[in-house]
Amino acid sequence: MTRCLRLLACFLALTCARAEDYVSWEMTPPVAGPGQPFKLQVRIESDVILGPADRVGRELKPPKGMALRFSGQLFRANTTEATLNFSGVAPEEEGAHVIPSFNIRFPAKLIKVPAMTVNVSAATGFRREGQARAELAMPVRTYYVGERIPGAILLKGSEQEMVNGSFGLECEAEGFTFQQVGARNEELPNGQGIQTGFELTPLRTGTSEVTINGIMLVNTGGLGGFTASGRDRPFTFRRKVTVEHVPETGRPTEWTGAIGRFLAESVSVSNPKPEVGEPIRLRAILAGEGNLDRILPPEIGSSETWDVIPSNDRRFRRAEDQRSFTYTLVPRLPGKQMTPAIRFAVFDPETRTFQRLEFAPQPVTVTGNAPSKVELVSADPGAAAGSPAAKALTGLATPDPRARGLLDPGSQVVAPLAGSRPFWTTNLTLLTLSATLFAAAAGSAYLLAHPEILRRARARREVRAARRAATSAMDDAGFAVACVRGLRAGCAPWIEATPEALTQGDIRRVLPAADAAILDRIFRRADGAKFGAPSDASLQAEKPALLALLAELEARL
Amino acid sequence: MRTLWLLLAGLIAAPLPAAEPDAGQAAYVAGDYVGAIERWQAQVVAEGATAGRLAALGNAEWKLGRKGRAMVCWERALLLDPRNAVATAGIRHAQSAGGVERPALTWAEDYAGFLGANAWLVIATAAFWVALLGLLIPRLRRRAPSEWQEKMVVAAATVFLLSLPGLWGGHLHARRAVIRQTEVSLRLTPTARGEAIVGIAEGDVVRTDRPFNGYVRVTTADGKSGWLQTREIESPWGGGLPANLDTPKAP
Repeated sequence: MTRCLRLLACFLALTCARAEDYVSWEMTPPVAGPGQPFKLQVRIESDVILGPADRVGRELKPPKGMALRFSGQLFRANTTEATLNFSGVAPEEEGAHVIPSFNIRFPAKLIKVPAMTVNVSAATGFRREGQARAELAMPVRTYYVGERIPGAILLKGSEQEMVNGSFGLECEAEGFTFQQVGARNEELPNGQGIQTGFELTPLRTGTSEVTINGIMLVNTGGLGGFTASGRDRPFTFRRKVTVEHVPETGRPTEWTGAIGRFLAESVSVSNPKPEVGEPIRLRAILAGEGNLDRILPPEIGSSETWDVIPSNDRRFRRAEDQRSFTYTLVPRLPGKQMTPAIRFAVFDPETRTFQRLEFAPQPVTVTGNAPSKVELVSADPGAAAGSPAAKALTGLATPDPRARGLLDPGSQVVAPLAGSRPFWTTNLTLLTLSATLFAAAAGSAYLLAHPEILRRARARREVRAARRAATSAMDDAGFAVACVRGLRAGCAPWIEATPEALTQGDIRRVLPAADAAILDRIFRRADGAKFGAPSDASLQAEKPALLALLAELEARL
Repeated sequence: MRTLWLLLAGLIAAPLPAAEPDAGQAAYVAGDYVGAIERWQAQVVAEGATAGRLAALGNAEWKLGRKGRAMVCWERALLLDPRNAVATAGIRHAQSAGGVERPALTWAEDYAGFLGANAWLVIATAAFWVALLGLLIPRLRRRAPSEWQEKMVVAAATVFLLSLPGLWGGHLHARRAVIRQTEVSLRLTPTARGEAIVGIAEGDVVRTDRPFNGYVRVTTADGKSGWLQTREIESPWGGGLPANLDTPKAP
């Protein structure tokens, strides 16, 4: 029974604890100037559905000199949250002004808002009168090549003229890079204006003029939004600046271009217990303000204990103002070892002095045996020890001078076969020979398929010879024999017969226009003796006609 | 009989006796890289350059910090034997750890790297002749080609066509060169007053184009084009040992 009562008491206590309401408030701006309007937002979270507040402000009693009134509320049906907004004007007197605690009535319950403090200070820069103006915030000093110079354009308004925004910010400066950083229109802490940040980086030495211009959007209707009318107002800043190189005097050897204010944030190893020859990753993080993206990674030399692969990590996170350098270390010897220290030098442009930073050596326990030499570098230094991937080799392999390639006879000059003249000469010669052979074979085959070509050629030669013999014959008999021989040879291909077998009738079949009487006389004169009827008739008159017949035959062949 | 089989199996399974390391290898292992280079260079002069010797020379040159000479040796070794493990590892090491930049291989160069430029040319030539003779011989003999002759012609023509990308890749690969001098500037124009575009480090590999006025137009691994002096680069083709830039050439 006692136990049951205790449990009931605990349950009731928990229920009561849950029933407590949570009230928070926020003032904008957090610190107000004397007489500056401000906004107050009260947020309530309860365990019951609240609904709309009723008669808010009835119990509200602002301190002396402060105006404060309820301006509206935000609530959603069937929720346990409510937000109430108040508008006010800060007192003229500086200091902390307390708004006493007051109650807010909701349909479900009454909630008590605790006392709130309004801080009033003249240091906020609040202005009641005057035009909106732009101010350039940039360090006034000598700049250095490669330095990251932070700057900002502050657009400050007043109660009469509020600055709502800006656009078109640009910089005209030779030998500088310009970059806008952060939000374009970031509100000023006093709530009476905005600011836009930028970065300048000088690229060369000398004196030059930096011109920054842009346009701000000004509301001339005061803080009351109903009568506001906006207009654009341009602004321009010109500043003559001097850029120098980082001084050589006192420059440490380990300085690698860092200008600013940095600190060695952390250093870590990927595997504190590697094997001999197993690469591990040493990661150092540098943080601070300055040209983080322009710093060359500090060098670490290899030693008897460590093989060091140069850092190639260029990661830079602007949002965190951090830069990390990652090195791959390969332990050469077993035992308790310390990683090499990473030494770093920074030039502070404000004090014009160099500072040294050091990432402390890290203890590492190296297992395994000492090899004769270590040349192995893992492709993935971050891989777990012992896994097959950790043993992947990408370092120099053991040389084997006896190895030979497929076509690697070992010549004094490694020359491409395509550049070899004998190779191409031999191939071209063989190709020409092949083409010739092919052409000859093709020609021969053609002549075999067309034997009349050869027959005509032979007949043409014989007709030509006969015509020459006839022309040069001294007597009629010789002339007749030569003519008949020529006529028979010239006509034989046309009727595909043996020349000796042709008669004058056969000749007339080929040469129908030839005179039959002349052909009879010439055949009788040439062959008459064979057939017992020799002829002694003169052929002087027929000579031209017969020679013309021979010429015609030769032309036809 | 069983004993005999066991003996035979033992003989087959027994590893081959390891070759004795030569003087260059011994010097290399002892850390005497200069000595190793001298010995291997003497071997190259006496017996000719092989892929193994050039790759070994590349390793020793790299150990001495001569990036340009090492890269030339490795690239030459790969021309003779595209699968040479020592040269491949050396180039990969130079790229990952040494910061050496090398143009990415095109698909044709990748294809050509399967056998090497010379092997592709030999294969293409052989396939061409087989196909040509397969076509010619039946005609010279005035007979119809037999079935196996036709198959041989088709096979040879296929091999020839397949070797064409290899030839093209080999041609592209031959137009590479290694930067041999430190602090080399890529120039906008091929003149002494040419504006420097970007600096190139010793050992970087570039693609070469036309020569002009003692300069060669090149394209770097990151695609920047400009002019370099002829003496600032060395082509992997056309040499045995890397050129000695300290000794001026005889006129």
